[in-house]
Amino acid sequence: MSTMLAGAAPLLRTTLKHDGRRFAPWIVIVTFLSTSSVLVYPWIFPSQQDRAGLAAAVGGNPAVGLIFGPAFDLSTTDGFNAWRSLALGGFMTALGAIFVLTRATRGQEDSGQAELLASGVLGRASRLLVGIGLALIGSLALGVIASVLTGLSGGDWPSSLLLGATFTATGWMFAAVAAVTAQIGSDSRTANSIAVGVLGVLFLLRGFAYSIQAPDWTVWINPLGWMTQTHPGTGNHWWPLGYALALTLVLTTIAFTLQSRRDFGQGAIAPRPGPARGKDRSTWRLAVRLNGGPIIAWTVAFLALGLVFGYFATSINDILGNDSNVSQMLAAGATTPDALIAAFIVTILSLVGIIAAIPGVQIMLKLRTEEMEDRVELVIATKVRRVRFYASNVILALAAPTLFLLIAGVLIATLASAADIGVDFGDAVLQTVATVPAVWTIIAVSIAVVGARPQVSLAAWVGVLSSFVLTLLGPSFKLWDSVLAFSPFWHVPNVTNSDADVWGLLWITLVTALFLVVGFIGFRRRDLAR
Amino acid sequence: MSANAVIEIAGLVKSYGKFPALNGLDLTVDQGQVHGFLGPNGSGKSTTIRVLLGLLRADGGTVRLLGGDPWKDVVELHRRLAYVPGDVSLWPGMTGGEAIDLLGALRGGLNEKRRAELVDRFELDPTKRGRQYSKGNRQKVAIVAALASDVELLILDEPTSGLDPLMENIFLEVIAEAKQRGTTVLLSSHILAEVESLADRLSIIRDGRIVETGTLTELRGHTRTSIHAVLQRIPPEDEMDAFRDVRLDGAKLTGTVDSNRIGEAMSFLAPYGIQSLTVEPPSLESLFLRLYETDTPAAATS
Repeated sequence: MSTMLAGAAPLLRTTLKHDGRRFAPWIVIVTFLSTSSVLVYPWIFPSQQDRAGLAAAVGGNPAVGLIFGPAFDLSTTDGFNAWRSLALGGFMTALGAIFVLTRATRGQEDSGQAELLASGVLGRASRLLVGIGLALIGSLALGVIASVLTGLSGGDWPSSLLLGATFTATGWMFAAVAAVTAQIGSDSRTANSIAVGVLGVLFLLRGFAYSIQAPDWTVWINPLGWMTQTHPGTGNHWWPLGYALALTLVLTTIAFTLQSRRDFGQGAIAPRPGPARGKDRSTWRLAVRLNGGPIIAWTVAFLALGLVFGYFATSINDILGNDSNVSQMLAAGATTPDALIAAFIVTILSLVGIIAAIPGVQIMLKLRTEEMEDRVELVIATKVRRVRFYASNVILALAAPTLFLLIAGVLIATLASAADIGVDFGDAVLQTVATVPAVWTIIAVSIAVVGARPQVSLAAWVGVLSSFVLTLLGPSFKLWDSVLAFSPFWHVPNVTNSDADVWGLLWITLVTALFLVVGFIGFRRRDLAR
Repeated sequence: MSANAVIEIAGLVKSYGKFPALNGLDLTVDQGQVHGFLGPNGSGKSTTIRVLLGLLRADGGTVRLLGGDPWKDVVELHRRLAYVPGDVSLWPGMTGGEAIDLLGALRGGLNEKRRAELVDRFELDPTKRGRQYSKGNRQKVAIVAALASDVELLILDEPTSGLDPLMENIFLEVIAEAKQRGTTVLLSSHILAEVESLADRLSIIRDGRIVETGTLTELRGHTRTSIHAVLQRIPPEDEMDAFRDVRLDGAKLTGTVDSNRIGEAMSFLAPYGIQSLTVEPPSLESLFLRLYETDTPAAATS
């Protein structure tokens, strides 16, 4: 065993030093999420009356529950923090763990760094061990920092520590998932996609299981469900974390076994000879080809998303009826069931829209990767115009998310209109179409970044991230309209309102056009691969 | 500058942030020439080529390529040239054959007959995927893609790096054939032998500027012939004007002679009874070494 792991310790030290800071953004985001809840909640929702109002609003829009999970108790600050941070914080930690691990294992094999390392005095299992070690230490650091700072900000210590522990445990489980997928996928992109796909599916299933009050076992077979079942702030159960540890151990063992059975640089599936002649003869075909795999995967994902959300919409009356706060609001005539359902459809389509923008941004960032790996150089050295080349990718980045949103929207419309809940098929489809310009705006941010300032490629995500924060978190912060208006989704009109205002859509389309102009001019004028 | 120049660069300046990559580079390549572009790693060869391809924007100086501006007239110019990068990166999931056809189509069409012939001669397996190729095979894909189209100018950036000696020979043959067809070639390299056998003219770059340029003979003029002789009698050291760096070890003499004074040196040695004599012709190697070993740029010698 000692020769299997030779060299692991010095390699881990170096890797921590060089790649450790890749965890920093995730630590900052999750810590901010958790501490801000504790700091801000007593200030914005000081009285129990305010808090009951929030509970009613949350109960009244089940789309919010899909993302945040169940709100067990919003009457205390810690209960609020558990509702707002547990699911998202765990999700972010898991993403960080997956990316760090894949980069340290499969990513190094792709780039050839690993070959250099493997030829040194390094055991066969050492590199995987170092990758896992890096992800585990990063997740642990995240949990400790987030919980201690939350405690210092005024959170109840046992609840804050347990909340931090769920972040760490989620990070550990998905580090182990990524350790397995890094052995299965034949390059880092595939490995990342499979691991993130698993995370996404489990995440949605958890929100779904709680929202429709599915049988208990649907929560308990989902590793993310264990995290919610710790009930930080309401019950403080530590024991479900034991399951997480066990799962981490089992998956890690599987990963080491798989690794010892595969060849260096190869996946589980061996490559076969391909065609000797090519059919792709334009930059458009090239763009489609390079993004073909992910586009098919996302299409499947949006078919599933449409079915899940559509089915969810059909049970909306039950969900609303079960919520005592909502019943009171309805009884008092403060709102009507139709208004609630229409607002629900708007929110859920905005949510689908934000998710649909992710593959769009990925397509633009893929172009940047191609550029940095000197393959754009080969293409631009032919008679292809830069603008034309960029346009092929931009069109794909805008068209694919549009298709995804329409797939999910039509499915939701079909299921919801069939369920006799007062949703009209035409209205729901029209609402989907009205959401498209907002999706384009947040993708356009990445088009501008990749075109004009690709060195700060993380900024490509700004549109998606800020829309998500403002659309879903904004209301729980009681932000002013002038701030919420930064999200293009705020401008999407509710088409069932007779006085729906289309001016907002025109404005955000103008912003989209501006970003496009910046992107195209930037790409035409700048040095390539710099 | 000559009227039929394909590449004309004067005073080209390009910096990356504060790091100056090119400072005042001049380069002229005439039509139909194979022009060797020599320099050590990091001297600015690839930067020059990327400016010529319109991938980078010049900070200063003038650059003309095939009578156009490489930054503005990209499409028109790229129709007429082909490029092989020094470190070829292929699409991991695309086969070599597909990559050749894609690049050919984007350039405006391939010569099908030559494509087949080149794949055959370079013994390239076009059904393998990008990620499966070795460095040399990736290089072959780019070479086939570039040479299979009918262009006026080939820009080759260290094209043989990674090729085995057999393939390198085939490459030299193929370039010679391209020259026969009248193609102009800019061939960058840090390997002298490769350039020596092909190039009509050479330019040597160091620290972002050209330090020597000329035909092979002209450049050889700057180099010295080395002489090793064993003599019967020891010549007096103070009379050996024709020699440089003389070392006498008993009756064994080693030294170098400027090309124009070889005759003089021979007449000087003859009376002392030559027992054995080795004369090494001037190699570019010695020029190369002389230019790079000195700390100050050798611009003064050109």
